Amino acid sequence: MSQVKKKKGAGPRLHLVDAWTLEAAEYPRSLDWSADGELVALGAADGSLRFLDSARGTLLRTKSSGGGLTCVRWNPRQRLLAAASEDGACRVWQGSGELVAELPGKGGGWVEHVAWSPDGERLAIASGRTARVFTPSGEPVLETEAHPSTVTGLEWSPRGDALATICYGGVHLWPLVEGSPARHLPWKGSLISLAWSPDGEVIACGSQDCSVHFWRLGSGKDSEMTGYPAKPRELAWSKDSRLLATSGGAAICVWRFEGDGPEGTKPLLLKGHEDLLTALDFGGEALTLASGSKDRDVLLWRPGVTPKPVGLARMKDEVVLLRFSPDGRRLAAADATGHLEVWRVAEARVG
Amino acid sequence: MATSEKKIPVTVLTGFLGSGKTTLLNRILTEQHGKRIAVIENEFGEIGIDQALVINADEEVFEMNNGCICCTVRGDLIRILGNLVRRKDKFDHVLVETTGMADPSPVAQTFFVDDEIGSQFQLDGIVTMVDARHVSLHIDESDECKEQIAFGDVIIINKTDLVTPEEADRVERRIRSMNALARVQRAVKGQVPIESVLDVGGFDLGRALKQKPAFLEPEYPFEWGGVYALQPGQASLVLGDGPDASMDVALVPVDSADEAGLKAGAETAVRFWSRSPSRRVSGNALAAGNTHFQLDFTKEKGRKAYPLSVPREGLYALFTEHGPEEYALRVEDPAGGFLKCRAERPFGAGHSHDETVASVGIHLEGDVDQHRLNAWLSKVLQEQGTDIFRMKGILAIAGQKNRYVFQGVHMLFDGQPDKPWGKTPRANDLVFIGRNLDREALTEGFRKCLK
Repeated sequence: MSQVKKKKGAGPRLHLVDAWTLEAAEYPRSLDWSADGELVALGAADGSLRFLDSARGTLLRTKSSGGGLTCVRWNPRQRLLAAASEDGACRVWQGSGELVAELPGKGGGWVEHVAWSPDGERLAIASGRTARVFTPSGEPVLETEAHPSTVTGLEWSPRGDALATICYGGVHLWPLVEGSPARHLPWKGSLISLAWSPDGEVIACGSQDCSVHFWRLGSGKDSEMTGYPAKPRELAWSKDSRLLATSGGAAICVWRFEGDGPEGTKPLLLKGHEDLLTALDFGGEALTLASGSKDRDVLLWRPGVTPKPVGLARMKDEVVLLRFSPDGRRLAAADATGHLEVWRVAEARVG
Repeated sequence: MATSEKKIPVTVLTGFLGSGKTTLLNRILTEQHGKRIAVIENEFGEIGIDQALVINADEEVFEMNNGCICCTVRGDLIRILGNLVRRKDKFDHVLVETTGMADPSPVAQTFFVDDEIGSQFQLDGIVTMVDARHVSLHIDESDECKEQIAFGDVIIINKTDLVTPEEADRVERRIRSMNALARVQRAVKGQVPIESVLDVGGFDLGRALKQKPAFLEPEYPFEWGGVYALQPGQASLVLGDGPDASMDVALVPVDSADEAGLKAGAETAVRFWSRSPSRRVSGNALAAGNTHFQLDFTKEKGRKAYPLSVPREGLYALFTEHGPEEYALRVEDPAGGFLKCRAERPFGAGHSHDETVASVGIHLEGDVDQHRLNAWLSKVLQEQGTDIFRMKGILAIAGQKNRYVFQGVHMLFDGQPDKPWGKTPRANDLVFIGRNLDREALTEGFRKCLK
């Protein structure tokens, strides 16, 4: 990685300026910035939930859960945090620490996924074969039929009018509009990751058999991208919906949704990591991509501009989580030892 | 790079409903054995042990899209083990309990197919529990039961207190004939040493090598052998009614009334079986010597007696196609007293109840040609992969100083070089456990791979 540090004069350079660090000492499972960017929540495998002041990293409060936390997500409009747990419930917390609601998953199994609707008025949770939708205060709104297998991901449409869930056998679309039928996008495989393009046109999924599958919702056309050395567990869309970055190897594979592509085109392969990718996130208007890997490095990229990394930081162990702040100016990363680091992303002068 | 750590061992516990899985599981969880165990079980509410991590899961079996038709995996295991590994400081062993009717292949294949799981977890062994009283019926009626026995590294015949010792013997022989590689143990109320279940090493190739004697156990056309001290004109073989209309037997002089004598006698007797038997009905004599006999029961019911004709006083071994208990078999003196059997042992029978599931062991000396072996194995696995449940082998590959050990589950296999041959004669041992296997074709095919 040393050539990245030394090489100068080749396009944009970004610096990751240390803001603060925290030792959570537990395997981190999920991390999120509040919509106003002032709070960071970190959920860990031991069930601990930390609320942190994002400016200095001050630990504001800790909550614990009877089982490991699987997913923590801030409401996009208010300081409400949903924290899903292996103890069979998803809890909704005020930023100030009061418990607002405890939402049970179906059948007492692990709650593994949560997602707020874009307007913050609905919260979807998945446990076992069922997804449930609640209001922020915990009133039930909807329960899906049982899926053919465990739900492995869920996401709201960007307009908030439908919920997508994945499992073995494809994607299920559950409209929140009365009278609209549910839709099934079939695929004979086990889907493990899900990302809806910000413009709402494409649903992309990673599959157990080392491929990426996507569906264009307008035409219903679907495509399969194969050849990944490992499972593409991480998927990240650029804000303009033109780039889909995917993991599944040491190189980041970026598909360009331009012209007739990505079908029949070659993806951009961003090479810089020495081991499998573990985290991907797009941040900010400048379409900066952050990647984390088992090789402990966090790299920054400008995929449309240069195939070389434009910034670097190194963690103590395998990178597990990466998340840009809502304005894209800060980046939080956590590694397998529970070491959490937050940086300011600064443009560096060239030369 | 993150340092590679020791893989977490996983034990799979399989067996029909009522075989005693839950009893064993509860014992494993409550006994002091110093291990912290995470349990993945398929039914709710059976276990409530504080210190153990118990996760309930529905078995979700799915096919992999890799062109291999029999390649199914357990999606729920991939998901749960993937989550568990993040808490690996909290436990040091994983136990997966399958449902009663489960086919064990998807569990085993999960560790071969999924790189993430395979890199963090090591399938230690498959433990199959059977109920001594009902298992014969289950074997006859259910493919799943056959598969569970075929897959087992350890097979526990439980509830032996509910059957006679003879019935237990019969069950054990039948199980061994299906799976020649497994360690078979008997138990009452699941009482077996915990370490014999949790530290099996069934998928550990190095360990497979140490268990070589089991590999080499040849198969015989008879199930039982017993040594008697006989005098000329003094003894008869006496039988009651049994399950078949005929039975093949042979009488062979031996040097000693022990294991060695029996083994040497068995090697002699095996050669008799390569020729046609001489037919005998009750009253006909059976001569010690150079042939085997087919006792024909079609016209005879009840007690049948065959004088044993021996040239001189001495030790003779009697080898019988079926176990003695199946025909109330004994050797009587002229007064009707029972002659004592001085030594006896069961033999792995090749024919055994015409099982559809059986083991084929091949032992050939010399070096194999790697290319021919690969070509042959791929062909065998392509054509019979669905019927080959497990496969293990130790090979002497031409040009390689070290033993090559490998094992497989259906079409998937995994191999690595092991310790050097050194002064040991180079030889190959290969064992297939499967359904409708053609022993001769497999042996011939493998022979053609020799240099």
